[in-house]
Amino acid sequence: MSQQQLADIKERAAGTGPLLEVRDLVKHFPVRGGLLQRAVAWVKAVDGVTFDIKRGETLGLVGESGSGKSTVARTILRLIPPTSGEVLLEGKSVFKASPSQMKKLRRDMQIIFQDPYGSLNPRMSVGEIIGEGLLVHGVGSPREREATVDRLLEVVGLRGQHRGRFPHEFSGGQRQRIGIARALALTPKIVIADEPVSALDVSIQSQILNLLSDLQRDFNLTYLFVAHNMAVVEQVSDRIAVMYLGKIVEVGPAEDVCKDPKHPYAKALISAVPVADPDVRRERVVLKGDIPSPINPPSGCHFRTRCPIATDRCAVEEPLLRPVGKDRVAACHYA
Amino acid sequence: MTGFLVRRLGQSVIVVVGVTIITFLLTRLLPGGVARAILGSRASPVEIAQFNHDNGLDLAIWQQYLVYINQLVHGNLGFSYRLNESVAGLLSDHLPKTIILLGISTLVALAIAVPLGVMQAVRRNKIEDYSLTTLTFVLYSMPPFWIALILIKWFAINLNMLPPQGPQGPISTYLDPVEASALVLPVMALALVTIALFSRYMRSSMLDNLVQDYVRTARAKGVSTAGVLYKHVLRNALIPIVTLLGLSLPGIFGGALITEAVFNYPGMGLLFWDSAQTRDYPVLLGVTIVVALATVVGNLLADFFYAVVDPRVRITE
Repeated sequence: MSQQQLADIKERAAGTGPLLEVRDLVKHFPVRGGLLQRAVAWVKAVDGVTFDIKRGETLGLVGESGSGKSTVARTILRLIPPTSGEVLLEGKSVFKASPSQMKKLRRDMQIIFQDPYGSLNPRMSVGEIIGEGLLVHGVGSPREREATVDRLLEVVGLRGQHRGRFPHEFSGGQRQRIGIARALALTPKIVIADEPVSALDVSIQSQILNLLSDLQRDFNLTYLFVAHNMAVVEQVSDRIAVMYLGKIVEVGPAEDVCKDPKHPYAKALISAVPVADPDVRRERVVLKGDIPSPINPPSGCHFRTRCPIATDRCAVEEPLLRPVGKDRVAACHYA
Repeated sequence: MTGFLVRRLGQSVIVVVGVTIITFLLTRLLPGGVARAILGSRASPVEIAQFNHDNGLDLAIWQQYLVYINQLVHGNLGFSYRLNESVAGLLSDHLPKTIILLGISTLVALAIAVPLGVMQAVRRNKIEDYSLTTLTFVLYSMPPFWIALILIKWFAINLNMLPPQGPQGPISTYLDPVEASALVLPVMALALVTIALFSRYMRSSMLDNLVQDYVRTARAKGVSTAGVLYKHVLRNALIPIVTLLGLSLPGIFGGALITEAVFNYPGMGLLFWDSAQTRDYPVLLGVTIVVALATVVGNLLADFFYAVVDPRVRITE
């Protein structure tokens, strides 16, 4: 047993270790073709992702569409089966959990989905939607569950009387509040927010973001916040992880990453955030072309085909995450 | 809701009146008159003229129609020339038998097709799904009379297990084992076709709902696989089946007509069949009106239950 492993065990015993550990997470989707529908290729949606989330922290996971952010979120929760890798919640393996252990684990890890319209069952009342988690985990008596639902509705800014209504009677922002109340019902330790505001009007986005941070304070929550909008992630995150084509390319404290990004992809993302001052002139890094196909990613560094500073070395040698400052890592030979 | 019902009832009345006009015209446009059919091919022109006069068949078509409608609104469905019996009496004798046949076969079809469709959707693109798809397509593409004949050949003639014709006695005897066993083949013949139809719809409806986001939400809550399937997927997947039931009523009745004829089952279908052969217009009209009414009511009920099962559909005034 190495020194590192010993240190990990001590940390966990003291309850000071990371709440969630993601180790070498890989998720490849088969591309089926031919008469027998055999896998003819693999979409490397997530290709070796490693990160930790500390208790009470918010880790922002950013990247453009198709970078694998949502797949990371769903694989962590075992909503889709992983290809390989490991996820530990308070040191307990999520992927190796038996069905009954998994059911217990689900109480501790909940998810808020992007689409507030599709993610609520149209045939169930709001009370049933929020209370179902309590019901299947056998929490409380029917009357206690009802009281919990009322309290949750008020916590997210709705009213207890809304319990009997159906999802279609609410606006997008209200529906997302219902989704949040539902996620909180089982008092989870970590909430994975998968693009929780992308489907909402900009005016509603900030309300929901404020609600999420209030709830974090009141319920001592830990968030994995997945989004493609750098401005939103910067506002809510303590640390930021940047993903590109199934891999994490940079991780660091939110402020540092936003002020001084090290990886060329992170630089491009941050330079794309609009600034509310017409006189500010700054260097814009505009990326050429689209994200390459995850079926056949470029050799070496995945980003090299669109990178402004790529060299021959990048085509041959894959850059690994290495320290680039205090608490910061980046996967670039030239960072 | 009341406004909606009143409006739909009004529409239904128009539809039924339209059906009586069209059917009335069609029956009168057929070559060869009732008189020929009743009096035989050797009847003299004088006899035929006398018969037509006695029965009001020498009046203009619109006058005949008005006479008929006048009777109809007074609850008189007419009189069968051939059977010498009132149409209302004939219907009250034959209609319940058809309702029993249709009711049992539809229930059997639903009881088999719904689990079948669910199973196919859950095991989609696997061997079970492909085999059942093939089987249901074979059944669906077979004409109902063909299925009926095959069933008679196998179960009545080769295996000698079941009677080759439907129960002949009154409904009160249907609980008798012999009569009940006679009902098995007609029910099977009708149900097999409907199973094929319903299970296809059920499969695609389940597939639509299995990929919905709220199914993922339910799994994230920790709901068991069976719970997700039943509470979240099946309950939503059944909604379109309600409409399908209402819409397929005329089709099922059409199937019953053939099936009753093949099994010599004395229901409304057989009555219609025999009356069509002998140009017994009052009976044809009476049966058609009953079927039109059943179709209209079926669709009305489907709309009503649609609003009951789907909270998103709230009929506004």
